[in-house]
Amino acid sequence: MKHFKWSLLLVLLFVLIGLVACSNNETDSTPADNDDTSESAEETDTEEASGEVDLRVVTTMAGTDPAGEVFQEVLDEFVSEHPHVSIENDSQSADAGTIRTKVNTDFSSDNEPDMMFYFNTVDAEGLIEEGKVVNLEEAEGIDLSGFNSMLEQQRHSDGNIYAAPQSGFYEGLFVNKKLFEENGIELPTTWEQYEAAIEAFAETDIVPIAASTEDSYYVVEHYALAAGGMENYKAELADQNPTWAEGLDNIKKHADMGAFTPDAATIDLAMAQELFKQEQAAMIFEGSWFWGQLEEAGMGEDVTVLPMPVYADGGETGEIVGGASQGWFISTKSYEDEAKRDVVVDLFNYLTSEEIIVRIAEATGQPPAKGALEDLPAYLEAGHQLVSDAPAVALPINDRIYPEAFTHVRTSVPDIVSGNTTGEQVLEEAAAMEE
Amino acid sequence: MKGDKLYVFLFLTPAFVITGIFLYYPFVDNILQSFYKTDGFFNSTFIGLDNYVRLWSDEIAREALFNSLELMLYVTIFQVGIALVLAIMVNAITKGAGFYRTTFFFPIVISGAAIGLLFTLIYNYRNGLLNEILVNLGLERVLWLTEQSSLYMVAIPTIWNYVGFYFVILLTAIQKIPNDFYEAAALEGITGVQKMFKLTIPLIVSDLKTCIVLAITGTLKIFELVYIITRGGPGSSSEVLGTYMYQKAFEDTAMGYGATIAVVIVVLGLSLAFITNKLLQKEEVTY
Repeated sequence: MKHFKWSLLLVLLFVLIGLVACSNNETDSTPADNDDTSESAEETDTEEASGEVDLRVVTTMAGTDPAGEVFQEVLDEFVSEHPHVSIENDSQSADAGTIRTKVNTDFSSDNEPDMMFYFNTVDAEGLIEEGKVVNLEEAEGIDLSGFNSMLEQQRHSDGNIYAAPQSGFYEGLFVNKKLFEENGIELPTTWEQYEAAIEAFAETDIVPIAASTEDSYYVVEHYALAAGGMENYKAELADQNPTWAEGLDNIKKHADMGAFTPDAATIDLAMAQELFKQEQAAMIFEGSWFWGQLEEAGMGEDVTVLPMPVYADGGETGEIVGGASQGWFISTKSYEDEAKRDVVVDLFNYLTSEEIIVRIAEATGQPPAKGALEDLPAYLEAGHQLVSDAPAVALPINDRIYPEAFTHVRTSVPDIVSGNTTGEQVLEEAAAMEE
Repeated sequence: MKGDKLYVFLFLTPAFVITGIFLYYPFVDNILQSFYKTDGFFNSTFIGLDNYVRLWSDEIAREALFNSLELMLYVTIFQVGIALVLAIMVNAITKGAGFYRTTFFFPIVISGAAIGLLFTLIYNYRNGLLNEILVNLGLERVLWLTEQSSLYMVAIPTIWNYVGFYFVILLTAIQKIPNDFYEAAALEGITGVQKMFKLTIPLIVSDLKTCIVLAITGTLKIFELVYIITRGGPGSSSEVLGTYMYQKAFEDTAMGYGATIAVVIVVLGLSLAFITNKLLQKEEVTY
């Protein structure tokens, strides 16, 4: 009986080992994304032997981003020209911010993508400091020629360039011209006109500004810009700049005037966008990526984008929030892999070539980092004009301050609106978080 | 006997390994993370009990805790209470019991995210179902999600979502009661209400206890309905511990502080389950 038990135990052990071995064989035959180091080594051996290269690319060109479809086409074309290469497009929408967790998880678990189109902001600090991404200026074969000034915007504080831009963006006040005309209201090019428009629309059934005061990224930025001008907008959070507090308090002032829908504290950005697209709201603070949605809704012609009216002394209306905060990174692990390096460099140069950059930018209407868009509709041209005429451009506040501190500012807006707190108090609390 | 122990060990090992890797290891790691100021990835500094000290003075965390406890009260009373009433009523009818059983159980199979979206569209101010009805009746729109009402409005779908679960448990318990008890009571001239309070409920008290413990511990896991319907707002009026932990850990990348909130959720859940068990301890009913 005892022998039988031991025999049974041995059989089970062999079955277990067999299953593990089988699973390894399977992995070898399809060397995809595996984070196990030994398996990766086996994968590389197999790849070297067969000449096959499997790449994984992570971008934010997914979800509602109109660039997603074009990006997939572009990848397919690269693969058809390089039959030994297969590319997994692991893109994820940037809307919910979970892309940050995904990228950090991938890099910290030795499962980094070969290339990624990611935020070259405070979000990439950890990756750069840990040497997880390549210094592009020193990488052999990388072509950084032909870029406009957006490339220099990518330069890190250590003097190196780790990301190559694809396109820039701008944020502004998107206004529905048709609703303004129908209601006989002047377009808001000054602070007084802006407040007059809020008052006038508040008396109609049209919401003056479609906004979520909880997801108040763009609202906070533009109100800070209006109250302080670019010089104060660029201040550090630690300064607790009084114009930022004034901007936050202005949101309450305008909310009391009826600027936002009564449920602004519980709707999200997508619902605010819907209000604007259904012509139930006259204005919305958005970025240049919003044009894709407006075109889909068939209302591009009815909308124009204006700079936030700045009333601060020393500030100037026309100053805008924008720049190029995303870029193409190459992971160090992939670049140092002999079997992958050439293909990764080829793919990088292909994706950052003028032809591809312009093609992807055409889908979004955003200013490309190389070349220029032609035959643009008038409304998109107006957006590009906004950038070229801007006396000053600066990145969004949340790209340069500690995320938790910015979330506190943003999510405190409903409390400011309801009078439970003030802009000054919120900034003080946020600055304490950053410390 | 010795050989049996070997088999016990052998067959339990896979379960232990899986639970260890996917439950106990992350849990222990979570406790360790709560002593660090970390984004969970590249930046990590040991700060001892600072996260716990911060949590103690964090007003939003306190509000989230009280909201969670308030929600727990509503959920326990109404989920189990409504489930009990429905179970007794369905048990009393002979025709259409199957239909009601399916209808009441149905919300369980709908995902929380879908229910969240459904109620978001019901409560929406401009285009929501409730306000469209009011407007069509010539009435003014109502702001359903205010600082005062948001927690109640979140409690409604939360209760509706899980009533069916407790309904099925209690209905099964009621149906297990031998008919002899009711026949004997009928001979004594028992009325309908007396039957419910003096016979049915005392005989299913152990199942009720299980339902109450499940409802209490389940409430601490509430996340998706609050996150989708109110995002914890307006302000932090409907913030619960689950949504606050998610915000800190994943939106603000303050993983250490998020881990601290998670530890509190676990400690609170275990304590409440323990206290409830002690309070409801009663001799088991057998028949």
